[in-house]
Amino acid sequence: MTGMGHRPWGWSPEGRRRWAMLVVWFAHLFWVILGRGTGGHWQTALGLFSRPGQVAARHWDLWRTARSQKTGNLKQAQAELEALRWQVQGLRGVAMSNAARVAEADSAVRLLGLKQQLPLEMKAARIIVNVRKAPFGGMVLDAGLDEGLVQDQGLICPEGVVGRLWQVSNHQASVLPLDAYNASTAVMLGRSRATGVLQGVGPGKAEIRYIGVQEVVQPGEPVLTSGLDRVFPRGLLVGYVSAIKPRDTELGIQVALAAPLDRVDLVLILPPRPEIELKPPAEPPAPSKGKRGAK
Amino acid sequence: MSQSGSALVVRHAFLAALALALIPLTASWPGLQWLFHAILVVALVPEFRSPLIAMLWAAAAGWAVEGVLRFYAHTGGTPLADMTLCLLVRWTLIHWPPQERHAFWGRMLVFAVLHFLLVHATVRLAAGPHAWGYGLFWTLPTIPLWGDLAFRIHRPFRS
Repeated sequence: MTGMGHRPWGWSPEGRRRWAMLVVWFAHLFWVILGRGTGGHWQTALGLFSRPGQVAARHWDLWRTARSQKTGNLKQAQAELEALRWQVQGLRGVAMSNAARVAEADSAVRLLGLKQQLPLEMKAARIIVNVRKAPFGGMVLDAGLDEGLVQDQGLICPEGVVGRLWQVSNHQASVLPLDAYNASTAVMLGRSRATGVLQGVGPGKAEIRYIGVQEVVQPGEPVLTSGLDRVFPRGLLVGYVSAIKPRDTELGIQVALAAPLDRVDLVLILPPRPEIELKPPAEPPAPSKGKRGAK
Repeated sequence: MSQSGSALVVRHAFLAALALALIPLTASWPGLQWLFHAILVVALVPEFRSPLIAMLWAAAAGWAVEGVLRFYAHTGGTPLADMTLCLLVRWTLIHWPPQERHAFWGRMLVFAVLHFLLVHATVRLAAGPHAWGYGLFWTLPTIPLWGDLAFRIHRPFRS
């Protein structure tokens, strides 16, 4: 039934409602259909519509950046410089606070390398007191009888021989370093293989006794342990010849010790009465031919 | 509109709003969520006097479901299906007003299944293949409950 006042699709309340329903329904349908596909057609359409806005925003941003740089370049640079200074100071502080730990870690790494090179059962220990230069001073380890230590076990560090255990208590042990006046170590010269006894003469220095004047010794020649004292095995580096003074029947050979006795903090403890000659480390097994990848 | 009629309208709107609110609240139980969604679209929304209002309620139900799910590649399928089915139910209510309770339940059953299939079809159209849920197994056994509710709030449309 249609009359003058009944316009189902015209500009009447009912017509507007119908148009609104159509718009809502078809809007959803278009949304569903156009939204399919990679990226979506809607995004393309929206990107197209938003293009003028993006261009305007970019120009606006460029203008603002240029304007701020014109007025605030110097202040900004100064502030940035100040911030960087603070940052550098902070990093220096962190580095200084970490320096001790880094040095100890480096020392531990080198000690581990030494331990892997020597075919001996060695124990690591820390030097907790080092007053070697003081009268009656010495070095004290943080291990003692509780770690199975006994007197006269040799101590080495990655740079060379340190000394031997002097007294061992329950939890600590004192060390007799190579440069102590009452320290004696069986050594040999690196080139001539002449053997002698190393005796301490002062901080960082020692002297080899009982080498005849007929031996040819050169400054800079390495001095190694001979193994005859059964404290150290043969061939560990002790130091280098620093000076030779001929005497009546023997040479006075001064030795600069290789181990930094003032700075050493981690040492390896050799087993008691080691073999004179160290056995070379076992060769790695040769790869078998023709079985690559076989499990 | 009589006083009891206006009270019925208020009760109807309240029920629709409650069902719409329960859609996001039951997001952790997809079966229940689908039940409330189906009740809203199939039973409650078509009873609104204004077809535009009914359609907007149906669209709101669909967007609520998809807004809560948030894993479709492209949304819009559920509201489209809800609106379409709402108009279809409404059209049948106008042209074949329910007279008998059990026949009305049967009609609700058919529309519940159709709603399920239509939603999946439009979501597939919008977002591509997706998983079928078990919502229908919640909707169909409970038809005596919510179908009876829809039958109670039904008032014959002025054709």
